[in-house]
Amino acid sequence: MLKRSSPIWIIATKDVADAMQDRFIIVVTAFLVAAALTALVTGAVALATDVMTYNDARTTLLALGKSADAIAAPEFYPLRLLRGAVEQTEIIGAVIAILVGYRAAASERGRKTLALIMTRPIQNRQFMVGKALGGLMLLAGGLAIVFVLTAITLQVVSGVGLTLTDLGRIAIIWASSVVYAYSFFLLSFMLAFWLKKLPTALLLSFSIWLLVVLVAPQIGDTLDPDNQVAGGVFKQLHILKTDQIRIMRGYASFETIREGIEAASLTKRFERLSFAVLGIKDTYVGKPLASVLKEKQGDALWLVLVVFVLQALLFSRPIDLNRLTQE
Amino acid sequence: MFRSTGLIARHSMALVFRERTVSFLTVLFMALVLVSAYLGWSATTTVNAIYQSAAAFLTSTHQPIPPNPVLNTSPLSLLRNMSTYVSLIGSLASIVIGFQLVAMDRKGGVVPLIGVRPMAGNAYALGKVFALVALVLGLVGAAACVSVMTFQILPEFRLDGTGWRHLTLFFGTSALYMGLFGLMGLASGAYAKSETVSLLIPVTLWLTVTFIFPQLTSNIHPTAALNPVKALVDPPHSSFFTYAELVLGPVSLADAYKVLSARLLEFLPPGHVIRSVVSPATTLVMATVFSIGLAIVSLRKMDMTKGDYDA
Repeated sequence: MLKRSSPIWIIATKDVADAMQDRFIIVVTAFLVAAALTALVTGAVALATDVMTYNDARTTLLALGKSADAIAAPEFYPLRLLRGAVEQTEIIGAVIAILVGYRAAASERGRKTLALIMTRPIQNRQFMVGKALGGLMLLAGGLAIVFVLTAITLQVVSGVGLTLTDLGRIAIIWASSVVYAYSFFLLSFMLAFWLKKLPTALLLSFSIWLLVVLVAPQIGDTLDPDNQVAGGVFKQLHILKTDQIRIMRGYASFETIREGIEAASLTKRFERLSFAVLGIKDTYVGKPLASVLKEKQGDALWLVLVVFVLQALLFSRPIDLNRLTQE
Repeated sequence: MFRSTGLIARHSMALVFRERTVSFLTVLFMALVLVSAYLGWSATTTVNAIYQSAAAFLTSTHQPIPPNPVLNTSPLSLLRNMSTYVSLIGSLASIVIGFQLVAMDRKGGVVPLIGVRPMAGNAYALGKVFALVALVLGLVGAAACVSVMTFQILPEFRLDGTGWRHLTLFFGTSALYMGLFGLMGLASGAYAKSETVSLLIPVTLWLTVTFIFPQLTSNIHPTAALNPVKALVDPPHSSFFTYAELVLGPVSLADAYKVLSARLLEFLPPGHVIRSVVSPATTLVMATVFSIGLAIVSLRKMDMTKGDYDA
């Protein structure tokens, strides 16, 4: 436990106070809240439309004296409505983390306060840990607000009370999203202290974000043959699921490459874990949380491993504070 | 005035070429143009091979064989992923180019020097806009060359006269789309007091039009928005989405570009309905005109006595 007088705690809380004072974290969190709630509400509207269409079709069939069994009722799992919110967190949450990391370094370099800090009895490592802790606190707090507001809105729009298990699942997604976002924080923070020009660090962080968050999953998704034909290639060919699997066995190496590209993306790992825990993916609907977590521990470990590697990198190369104060 | 404008445009372009971030994003964009051609070819040949396997299986089980979906697609759809990469990396590269065109002058301390020169009021602003247009056209031109070479290398994907015309129009539309984000970068670079904020404003706008508006107009999730085929799925039949598209259509730039690209690259699903009050082409043209105005006004209002960013 850190003491209040510890340099690490002082630096961390100062960064949090700075971000609150200039309303930066409030503005970016509000943007993510708006994006997540938009996704939730549009998902709810789409589901309500499906229910209405089903009810109309059912009424018509019953009026004609036919059985309503021919049409499948839309399935309703409230947590599934969080799909869009999770995807917005994947993209915008990572951008926010990059900005928080960049600011943590840029605030000291830009304001030339590094020289002042250097005059205090503080170790290089304490300074870095304090900065990283401050970033972690900001991200955890911001994402907590996003998920709390999303859970409340979910309760309102779905009209279904969330159980304790549901809330537990949302809490797991919050924790995973904090770890996921923290890895982007570490990346931009590290680059902003390593590179000579600050804007170059920001642009490089954005370029890596573009490749990891958008391009790699996009390539994996595009290479999926079923995504190449509107409605799906197998659906167009009227081939059953069991036969699809048999046919796709002949494309094992293609699928391995595709899967490899997807799995290399941290974003995809976070998405797979989140979709499994929330039951967004069909195969995980109704599965006990413990078994889902056991099955998805590889993805969870991957998230932790990336953070571990980035932290190791950050501390393995001592930051030359003297050089930075002279720039 | 024309002499000063040309001089500023040429000098700005020469400076931008020296910037490593711009070179890096340009190389990345070109690499992704190549990737998109490969993905199109790979996905098409895989679907074709799957069809052959499925046809053999259907024959063995005495089931009817549906037509090959690949035969229904245009050779131009080989480049369908290009529209995604233009809206991702192309737009981001343009924002950075637009930002750097102004930021270099502001940070280099040359703005006050330019301010004391005898120059027509619009010369500086127009010079920057022309430099941006030339750089974006260069970037899109290079991407077009790669695409043309792709069609020359792959003889099974032959284009007729209409195909070449559509391809030219697609690159024209892409230049328009990238250009308007570049203009936003230019305007923001001149307007904002902080360097970080000047980068963040156009990036936030880009995130909003790329990932939030499609959700409101068509219930397209962010990851689906990255897939050129999935992004064209019709929205649910709800008055909410009808009105959202009607209202947001004129500013939903990513939606407009997505539909135009799909139409020009001939992979727009038949019967795709556009509910916006203005056509996608009009949306892009209106946005470009607005962005040009915004960039010129921001550049003209820039404090030429100070120049540099606050922090």
